[in-house]
Amino acid sequence: MRAYFAVLIGGLLGTALRLACDLALPHGDDAFPFSTLIVNLVGAFVLGWLVGGLWTRPSTPNWLKAGIGSGLLGSFTTMSAVLAAVVLLSVSGEAWLAALYLAVSAVGGLALAAAGLRVGSLIAHRPMPTTVTDAGQTL
Amino acid sequence: MSAQLAPLVVAAVLVAGAIGSVIRFALSRALPVRPGHLPRGILIVNVVGSGLAGAFLGLAERAAIDGDLRLVLVTGFCGGLTTFSTWGVETIELLDGGRWRAAILNVLVTLALGLAAAAAGYLLLR
Repeated sequence: MRAYFAVLIGGLLGTALRLACDLALPHGDDAFPFSTLIVNLVGAFVLGWLVGGLWTRPSTPNWLKAGIGSGLLGSFTTMSAVLAAVVLLSVSGEAWLAALYLAVSAVGGLALAAAGLRVGSLIAHRPMPTTVTDAGQTL
Repeated sequence: MSAQLAPLVVAAVLVAGAIGSVIRFALSRALPVRPGHLPRGILIVNVVGSGLAGAFLGLAERAAIDGDLRLVLVTGFCGGLTTFSTWGVETIELLDGGRWRAAILNVLVTLALGLAAAAAGYLLLR
């Protein structure tokens, strides 16, 4: 139940952030949707970072994963806006722009999700220093 | 998109997005990801949400729904129901687990079915 409440709150916040990006970078139905591209790329990277890092700690509660992962980042990013924009761009005669947008979204999103997973994993699992480099003089 | 948004419209967009998120979360719990298999829950919400977005945009184009309602349904509900970040991360996790066929399938099936649903919804209802 707590996880559902966390998703609800995260969903409100993520939708608010996405709406703010849409309003800050408005675009017509026949123009390249930079705001959607930015939120999707940023969201994919941040979720990868968390899944590779914080999520792997046993102490991270499930409601927090649900609230931030499914709620905040899940609602911040959107697949429907991408695919609907591809359809709208295509019917307004911008088929090449539609194809470019779809390709940049998919390739960029997957690349950034992969980069986020690597970065999160590296930072979370960096080895503890086992050698004292200053020979103990400052300790 | 209207230049000035009424606070009530903004609130409705956020609530619609939150409801969409909860539906997505409930479905992803009901259909948990089995290792090496396609993440069905996210695939279903992304295809259904894209189809709904196309349908709402089609209705908006023939003025069956106004700009505010379009924002609530498309940006709010469909935006909250569908997700891009989970799709990307789950695809890379399939790839990292050596399930490259399932990863490629997840990309192609999501994009092909989602596009087909969005196009069908839009073209049938505009």
